[in-house]
Amino acid sequence: MPTERELAISPIVQESVQHNTRVISNIRSLTASLFGIASGILGLESYAGFAFYLLGTFFVSVLIWAFLAKGKQGEYFQGPLSELWAGDVLGGGMSFVLTWTLFYGLVRA
Amino acid sequence: MPSYLSRPLTVLGLLFLSHACYSAYEHSTLLTTFPQSSTIASTSTSSPPTASLPLDISLETIISVVMICVGLVVGAEELKPITWRVWAGKVERESGGGGPFQGLEDRLGFVDIRVGIISSMEIGFGNGGLLV
Repeated sequence: MPTERELAISPIVQESVQHNTRVISNIRSLTASLFGIASGILGLESYAGFAFYLLGTFFVSVLIWAFLAKGKQGEYFQGPLSELWAGDVLGGGMSFVLTWTLFYGLVRA
Repeated sequence: MPSYLSRPLTVLGLLFLSHACYSAYEHSTLLTTFPQSSTIASTSTSSPPTASLPLDISLETIISVVMICVGLVVGAEELKPITWRVWAGKVERESGGGGPFQGLEDRLGFVDIRVGIISSMEIGFGNGGLLV
């Protein structure tokens, strides 16, 4: 976190911070359900499913880093590690488990 | 990657994903209908039929997921710079002189009188009049 003095010298636009967080959270919730569908189709079980989710989340983070942030993550996020690379991973995990179990049950009924 | 590719890529990926899903469903139905068939079932009969998803269905699933991910990320809204100076500079460049500091620059103390006089004289006397 930047100190008060750094914030006074180079202020932060709160509106942009909120906008960026919203974009990330949109992508995360959509892709989490998508990974749930995929792991349900693939028939993954227990740790393999969660490993698939973490791997997919990392892949999406790399995509965001490359296409949206264009490699300059410090310009768009206050804390790139928590906002870009780990942002909304736990929240997306819930919808991942939901669609995972749904599609596992649908395909292997 | 241009952003107009995002929508077709996502739709194509969804198409592939639904096809893979239906294929996996049909495959599992086949195995439960004919569990003794030697051509379909895996070599080890003790393992459940769910363990042997054909390679092409797995590949189709993974490729379609990658396609949808790329499509979603490329089609997402642009991120905005969070530091004030970068953001204000971007706004000013894009709006052509406006920007968040326009109110400060329009104050009377900031008016350049000489530029104003010269332009009003050009309007009043035409080109090549009193001006040297």
